[in-house]
Amino acid sequence: MQRVAQQRSTSAETRSSETTTPLSSLLPLLVPQFKRHRVRLAVGFAALLIVDLLQLSIPQLLKRGIDGLSAGTATPSMLALLGLAIVAIAVLVVLLRFVWRTLIIGFSRYLERALRNRVFSHILTMDQHFFSSRSTGSIMAHVTNDLTAVQMACGMGMVAAADALVMSVAAIGFMLYISPSLTFFALLPMPILAIATRVLSAQLHHRFNTVQEQFGVLTEFARSALVAVKLSKAYTLERLQTGEFDKMGRTYVDANIKVARIQGVLFPAATLIGNMGLLAIVVFGGRLAIDETISMGDFVAFITYLQMLIWPMMAVGWVANLFQRGATSLRRIYLLLDAEPLLPDHQENTVSHITAPSFTLQGLSFTYPGTSSPQLEDISIEVSQGLIVGIAGRTGSGKSTFCKILVRLHDIADGAYHFGGIDVNQLPLDEVRNRIAYVSQEPVLFSDTIGANISFGRADANSSEIEQAARDAVLHDDIMGFDNGYQTIIGERGVTLSGGQRQRLALARALLSDRPVLVIDDGLSAVDTQTEHRILATLRERFNEKTVFIVSNRIKLLSMTDIILIFDRGRLVNSGSHEELLAANDFYRAMHEKQMNSEPRD
Amino acid sequence: MRDFGYSEKGQSVTVADLALWRRILRYSADYRLPIGVAVILSLGVTGATLGLPYLLKTAIDGYITADQLAMEQRLAGITTIGLWFAALIAVNFLLMFTQVVLLEWVGQSVMHRIRQELFAHIVNLDLSFLTRQPVGRLVTRLTNDVQNMHEMFTSVLVTLFNDILRIFGILIVLLVLNSKLGGIMSLYVPLAFVMTWVFSQMAREKFRAIRAQLSRINTYIQESVSGIAIIQLFNAQSRFARDFLNLSDEYLRRTLSQIRLFAAFMPLSELLSTTAIAIILWFGGSLILKNQLTIGELVAFLAYMRLFFQPLRELSQKYSIVQSALASAERIFAMLDVKPLIVDPPRPQHLKEIAGRIEFAEVRFSYDGTTPILDCVSLTVEPGETVAIVGATGSGKTTLINLLLRFYEPQKGRISIDGVTIDQLPLAELRGHVGVILQDVFILKDTLLANIVLDSGRGRDEVRTILRHTGIDRFVRRLPDGLDTIIGEAGRELSTGEKQLLSFARALCRNPPILVLDEATASIDSESESILEEAIATSFADRTSIVIAHRLSTIRRADHIIVMEQGVIVEAGPHEQLMVNRGRYAELIELDLHNDRPKTIATS
Repeated sequence: MQRVAQQRSTSAETRSSETTTPLSSLLPLLVPQFKRHRVRLAVGFAALLIVDLLQLSIPQLLKRGIDGLSAGTATPSMLALLGLAIVAIAVLVVLLRFVWRTLIIGFSRYLERALRNRVFSHILTMDQHFFSSRSTGSIMAHVTNDLTAVQMACGMGMVAAADALVMSVAAIGFMLYISPSLTFFALLPMPILAIATRVLSAQLHHRFNTVQEQFGVLTEFARSALVAVKLSKAYTLERLQTGEFDKMGRTYVDANIKVARIQGVLFPAATLIGNMGLLAIVVFGGRLAIDETISMGDFVAFITYLQMLIWPMMAVGWVANLFQRGATSLRRIYLLLDAEPLLPDHQENTVSHITAPSFTLQGLSFTYPGTSSPQLEDISIEVSQGLIVGIAGRTGSGKSTFCKILVRLHDIADGAYHFGGIDVNQLPLDEVRNRIAYVSQEPVLFSDTIGANISFGRADANSSEIEQAARDAVLHDDIMGFDNGYQTIIGERGVTLSGGQRQRLALARALLSDRPVLVIDDGLSAVDTQTEHRILATLRERFNEKTVFIVSNRIKLLSMTDIILIFDRGRLVNSGSHEELLAANDFYRAMHEKQMNSEPRD
Repeated sequence: MRDFGYSEKGQSVTVADLALWRRILRYSADYRLPIGVAVILSLGVTGATLGLPYLLKTAIDGYITADQLAMEQRLAGITTIGLWFAALIAVNFLLMFTQVVLLEWVGQSVMHRIRQELFAHIVNLDLSFLTRQPVGRLVTRLTNDVQNMHEMFTSVLVTLFNDILRIFGILIVLLVLNSKLGGIMSLYVPLAFVMTWVFSQMAREKFRAIRAQLSRINTYIQESVSGIAIIQLFNAQSRFARDFLNLSDEYLRRTLSQIRLFAAFMPLSELLSTTAIAIILWFGGSLILKNQLTIGELVAFLAYMRLFFQPLRELSQKYSIVQSALASAERIFAMLDVKPLIVDPPRPQHLKEIAGRIEFAEVRFSYDGTTPILDCVSLTVEPGETVAIVGATGSGKTTLINLLLRFYEPQKGRISIDGVTIDQLPLAELRGHVGVILQDVFILKDTLLANIVLDSGRGRDEVRTILRHTGIDRFVRRLPDGLDTIIGEAGRELSTGEKQLLSFARALCRNPPILVLDEATASIDSESESILEEAIATSFADRTSIVIAHRLSTIRRADHIIVMEQGVIVEAGPHEQLMVNRGRYAELIELDLHNDRPKTIATS
């Protein structure tokens, strides 16, 4: 049975380790967006094309004017006409540029939004296995850097590619028309620019990443030093830390200078290559103009075309990098979207007739994916409705894992866990989860008002219900102590709650969600004893029909439960009432003695 | 489309703030020579750049259109021009490269110096100031604000100097070539500047709005990822997806609005340069007809105007960067101007042989000046004695320690060690005499040994001896590489108990005559606890010790127990006596100790 769950996880592992996903499987991510915005794109690219053609016509007008001037055939009215024509073209170019910029670059933002929303809603469906193999930071990187890279490739990248292609083909066409041999000489240095941009900007990107990393190191050091500034002062570490900071700062300076060396080549390179082309035109074109193979106007138009080519040549290298980065990022996004939750979720088997949420665990074992030793082994127990179950054991004995399995956060083998008499692997996840409220040891709260955090599980709760939940969790008085009461914002930009307050808030949230089962995974550890007793008394009186699982290592609390489970190294070693365990379990007895015998005798 | 500089709320600096500029320049005073070289390089670059169109003009007027000259002469002339041309572009390239690297070096060095000065300054500031500042803000001063200034230093100030030099150089050349046409072209300068300024103002707003929304989105994702289990267990996925759509839509709206602004403005600068071509052809052409201009000069005009518009395109961006850099500079300087109040005495006294007698005499203290935290506290710790302080959170236990270490000054009363008031001792000496063991610990990304030794100068064997003597070596032996285990980020994470052991080892390395222990309130693993108990037993025996106690075993070991309540000592004496008295102490012990988690009292 255990093998079933393992297999599922390994197949997911191999899938995500594939780094060379074929491009064809990535395209379905983009194609629908391209289809959806096809009119926008078509109009945009048409405008882009027209802009390019219009721009290319300017040197022609210029040539006509200069030819007229050098031949002495030009008249003031002809010059005025040419000037006006150029201005008219320029105005048209402005309008059309506005059109393509808004349409095409706008498209890339629509695409970005679609991908971002998709990634986010996908993340919401993923299970613990997914999150344990990826850090929050790496997921954040997907939604920030990777999306930006894709957006850049599909926006500026696409524009620059099309622009560069049309411009260079047409400009080279005109140049060839004027003089093929001169074109050859003038363009000779151009490929160097394209290659140099490609190579150098990739290098630049790489070195820039090093700079960013070092910047991160510097920031992290400053942060950790300043968080612990009291310690630094107590140990007079000010000088030591300044020295460390100095070392890191120097590394950072060096990394920056490495970047500058590339920038120092890359930026002047465009000017250099452009000027080399110009040099070729002056020397060879000058000769051609002297022996009148080309006209003076051709000579000037040629220079203008060359200048028009510089940007596309730089763009080739730049665009190649953009596309490469975009494809890499898109691949990462694909892998993220391709990951599937291991937890089976049989939506089709909706059975709403589970009335009494009973728990039957039979030979339950669990091993974290990617580890070898089992976290839980062969647990069998039956818990009927309305019981309060205490759970105790050393750190790492499997209590927490047990709770997470109860609330269906971990994938387990078939047949090991029946909820309301039905194998949970055959049930929709919600069917189980909607009946269990969960309080973790490290409560997760959201940057919102206290009220909103309490009503998290039941958004429709009214204020008196919220207040009642807060009273039940002995939190109401604390809340009233804040200036804005239930409207107080908590989190980064608001009030910071103490550990005990956070835990009680998580409890209030669980109580308000009004579910028949309550799982408290050491969720009262930071609450003082008296308050803890009040809470447990409330649970007994007001919620006596609830089934409660509560992890704790406090004897006093455990003695108030109906049955206590003792875990040790993943096994359920004993279960029974307080008195039974005192007689039967060494660990429990030792714990009892330690906690009770420290009573000073009067 | 680069970013328009990092910004923070409340910017009110003007680019014309001369005092600010002077102060910035003071930091670069040591780099006068390289900066001077960079300026000369700038002149060289500008000269070379402006020389090229002039060569072009000479080629056209002097040889290409010079029908009167002999063919060989004309061809030879072109070759000479070509050589000059090649020489200029090579020189130009070299100068530009040198300038970029040189300036990066100067800029980075200056910034490094500012950053170091700021760091050393901040860590020496009063705790009362630092605790009022969010850590994030202080870090921003050290990182982003300095980075901002650097951006201005290297990539902007000098290119800006280059650009302005180039723009005015071009204008002068044009006016010399032809005053009429040059005069018309000079009208483009104010036009371009006004356009740029308007654009940069608008762009900055857009960028700010986009950045704000992006950080909202990122925070939302981060929170959702870290709270994913709760979201799923409480079935809130669809609500989160919906809220996220709204954030995402707003972000799209803001980016689209920025795209429209750019789409409107970016082509406008192109319009300016194209109209310049039209004017040169039209007006310059008519001058040629009147023989007031040559074709070569007309071509030179075209080439110069192209060079002229190049820098203008980036001007708005650069202006914004300078502005935000000045705002950063102002914030940095404001931080540097904060002076610590708690400093070494002008004529310090020194303690040679310390007996370790600590005395608090009628000490009164309040953090904010209104709410008293300590009210007329007097207590004496005799040399070699161990005193345990017991009391609820907020009773003033930690404040006593803060005052003893002179993190804060009492408003009234006197604290002395061996009869010398602590403000008569140099800070480093005072803090060297008092070894503090806290539950938080600053960890260097280094070996355990380096983390224990820090700057105390102890050798490995000395550390070994100290650890063996106190039993802390049991903790070291638990680690895979013993003293050489890398701890901290990317290394082995330490548990609360282990952190306290490390803190203990650190304090002992300095062999302080006085030990202060702030016991962990969080539950620590039993093995660490037993090591800790042994360490306390061995190291407290012969030293004056103060312990903020939470564990019964520690409390009972103390010679003296002090019970604090709301800033006042309500009871004092040995354990047995206090229990007999049946006062507050006995009450505390009974109330909390009976029912609480293992042997812990008075936790928050």
